[in-house]
Amino acid sequence: MYSRLLLSAAIAFAAATGISLSAAAQGSDSRAAADEILLAQAMRYDPMRPAMPSPGAAPRPEGNPEFDGLIDGPGAEETFYMCSACHSIALVKQQRLSDARWDYLWKWMIEEQGMADGGEELRETILNYLKEHYSSQR
Amino acid sequence: MTFLLDRDEGKERLAASAHEVVDQDRSPHATRTVFDRLSSSDRRGFLKSTGLTALGAALGMAVPFGRHFPDGLVPAAFAQDTGSDLMSEKDGLTIHNDRPLNAETPANLLDDDITPYSRLFVRANGLVPQSALDKDASDWTLTIDGEVENELSLTVDDLKNDFEHVTLALVLECGGNGRAFFQPGASGNQWTVGAVGCPQWTGVRLRDVLEKAGVKSSAVYTGHYGNDVDISGDPDKVVISRGVPIEKALEPEALIAWEMNGEDIPALHGFPLRLVIPGYPGSVSQKYLTRIWIRDKEHDGPKMGGYSYRMPKYPVAPGTEVPEEDMEILTVMPVKSIITAPTTGTEVTQGQAVEVRGHAWAGDGDVKAMHVSLDFGQTWQEATLEPAPNKYAWQRWRAEVTPPEQGYYEVWARATDMNDVSQPAVTPGWNPRGYGNNMIHRLALFAS
Repeated sequence: MYSRLLLSAAIAFAAATGISLSAAAQGSDSRAAADEILLAQAMRYDPMRPAMPSPGAAPRPEGNPEFDGLIDGPGAEETFYMCSACHSIALVKQQRLSDARWDYLWKWMIEEQGMADGGEELRETILNYLKEHYSSQR
Repeated sequence: MTFLLDRDEGKERLAASAHEVVDQDRSPHATRTVFDRLSSSDRRGFLKSTGLTALGAALGMAVPFGRHFPDGLVPAAFAQDTGSDLMSEKDGLTIHNDRPLNAETPANLLDDDITPYSRLFVRANGLVPQSALDKDASDWTLTIDGEVENELSLTVDDLKNDFEHVTLALVLECGGNGRAFFQPGASGNQWTVGAVGCPQWTGVRLRDVLEKAGVKSSAVYTGHYGNDVDISGDPDKVVISRGVPIEKALEPEALIAWEMNGEDIPALHGFPLRLVIPGYPGSVSQKYLTRIWIRDKEHDGPKMGGYSYRMPKYPVAPGTEVPEEDMEILTVMPVKSIITAPTTGTEVTQGQAVEVRGHAWAGDGDVKAMHVSLDFGQTWQEATLEPAPNKYAWQRWRAEVTPPEQGYYEVWARATDMNDVSQPAVTPGWNPRGYGNNMIHRLALFAS
């Protein structure tokens, strides 16, 4: 027995949580099959999912595999080499920080973690990149 | 009705090894990162990839021709393994970071009363030391020095022979567990709920060892050291050295442990010796323990200062830039609980009772009460709460909830500590590094 009420709840949650509804529109002939897919997708909803990069922000684009998945853009290559010298790029990709926190982290990496100080130009390039793509502000 | 995708997903989560979790990142490069570059079984691939990035760091700049850097000319320090091969011994963990290794356990895999090795989260600040990878403790010594009457140098056998053995179930929780829910974000591994576990530890009381050394009245704080290797590869750099007030170190539940769940402590978790000082952030429970320096002042080792494991002295608005001098050390972890069954998203039947269960713990000892809600926190029912087998173990709680009609429900679970402090429904006190988030754990139920 299929429940319309449950389905509408599922659709509402799918909409509220940004779960893709496209699967229902694509490969299914019957309404019931589409409903099944929708509901199944909604049931992936986890109320404890992590906070999004910033409210209403578009999902982050697929990164460049050359740079362990860093988002393409000016500074991506420099960021990759600088950061992956010590730690995984996975750590970078998780972040969504304010500009001030990125500034602080740069200083902390040099003063406390022994990162090489590559000079002002490199600092600008990498921090501009990180602030653009891994931000809680934009 | 069927729930094909949901069932598949559940199976996937239960069956997923660490490798499969990584595979969920569809990028072939992500897979290579774990299996090829970092795998010690393919050291060559590992060296080829990290060597040139290390060169970049050494020079302080990008290396445009790094791809042509010869394989052989790799800084020697980078030969140290991250320990990532050992992740195959873990079951279903979510990997946040592969250098250094950091991985957490999904809530539904934390159901055991005693957390097995395969399901204990991994929080590494550095690389697993070679002595741990080799399981070699033959030359191991633990030094107790500083504000003591008699400096001690103890082998593992000395510890086993000269002091009373103690076995306790003790919660270890990363100070940053829950960081992922802060907005704006806080830097570091984005732990959700599973950077916590409660294995059984066997060792000696830290207190007994300190008493043998004779703690002077000038003692204020401990400073802990291990032999893990810094991720920069610098062999002389101390990765992390934290400590606790001497009073905390003298609590009877603070252990120097050599066994976890009846076996030698696994390499990922601190072989051959580690501290287990429960109730405080996990980082005070130093792995690969080589030295305890008794200080006459607050310890000032790496990750004691700045913003590391520190909270603002006063409540701040989210996103506030707090001056460093207004930060203070995070000590006692807040009261918390987790729902370990059912799995979030489970389909249930209206009008039928469902057992929900989990664990509750508090940084200063026992939990007083446990409540659950099925209506988004409007009404609460008391859960049964089992006593802790010992202080600082987590406590099993159970409740039955009955969805009155079909639709979407959330189970909310709330623990209350002995001081009548309860978990909040939303993230508590935002702080720059995202520590101490004890917000209520919630899971989804679909009733039909």
